[in-house]
Amino acid sequence: MKNTILVFACLLVWACNQNKTLPIYGERSLQTFEKEGKSIIDTVYATVPPFVLLNQNGDTVTEALVKGKIYVADFFFTTCPTICPIMKKEMLRVYQKIKGDENFVLLSHTIDPDYDSIPLLKDYCNRLGSDGKQWQFLTGQREVIYELAEKGYYATAMPDSTEPGGYVHSGGFILVDKQSRVRGIYNGTDAKEVDQLMEDLFILKAEKE
Amino acid sequence: MRILSLLALAFMCVFAACSDSELVSMKQLSSGAKLYEQHCSNCHQADGSGLALLIPPLQQADYLTNNALLLPCLIRNGAAGAMEVNGKIYNQKMPGNAKLSDAEILDICRFVLQKFPEKPISLEDESLTLALQKCDSVGN
Repeated sequence: MKNTILVFACLLVWACNQNKTLPIYGERSLQTFEKEGKSIIDTVYATVPPFVLLNQNGDTVTEALVKGKIYVADFFFTTCPTICPIMKKEMLRVYQKIKGDENFVLLSHTIDPDYDSIPLLKDYCNRLGSDGKQWQFLTGQREVIYELAEKGYYATAMPDSTEPGGYVHSGGFILVDKQSRVRGIYNGTDAKEVDQLMEDLFILKAEKE
Repeated sequence: MRILSLLALAFMCVFAACSDSELVSMKQLSSGAKLYEQHCSNCHQADGSGLALLIPPLQQADYLTNNALLLPCLIRNGAAGAMEVNGKIYNQKMPGNAKLSDAEILDICRFVLQKFPEKPISLEDESLTLALQKCDSVGN
């Protein structure tokens, strides 16, 4: 009897792992829609708000770039002596994994737009070995980036003169699904968490809309 | 019992083989390893592999082999401008480490020069100390 229970427990765990789904972050609300004359109640999830930024080529980048795509966002600055180089080494691994698969995009946002000029971001992008399309480096008005970090991606980014480099920011990699919903936040300085992110990317790819 | 006493004898021989100066240098190397982790590995990475074409590698770096005596000043004052390492040009500014003491910088140098070059480099303590003093007096 004990054995039977054990076998069932194992089966249950196995079955659950087969259909791993990722959580949806943020507040949700119930809204009533009109469809074919009937009113339907549906759950509305938080999404990353629309944005207008510039990339390393000086081209305007909006949410249209990532429409219907799965993407990973992070926040950094080029002169950061603390966690950024580790994050970029890890993001480079993610880039190598998704390179050539058009379902995926990576967006790295500078939190020091005054110093990180467009030519500097372009050089940074080239030196990292990114093609500049699937992995883009974004800048914009400081306040716009900080608000996007905080409200859109649940990340921290702000100046702090006590920190080496002058800014404090979270080292998170934020995973966003095809419908602009945040589905995971991973520590970008931890190789194991980034391994998990790389698996979860493909869970989202397989997900039906 | 005989085997035990033989083992004990063997251990004593091994310890006797470690001279005082070797013990000191082991201590310095492990201190250097710790300091490297705290102050250098974020950028140059724990394995010394650097970051793409942004941050030069230390692992197998010809720059270290050819310029070992520049290392103390590099750590203290940082670096700016182009630098060639293993045939590639790097141009990211390296911040200095004004808060590290002379002894700490020398420990890092010893560790880096043992761990990363193609052939480990052992320099006399005097020459490293002199290099550090010189870079202070030039004030660069």
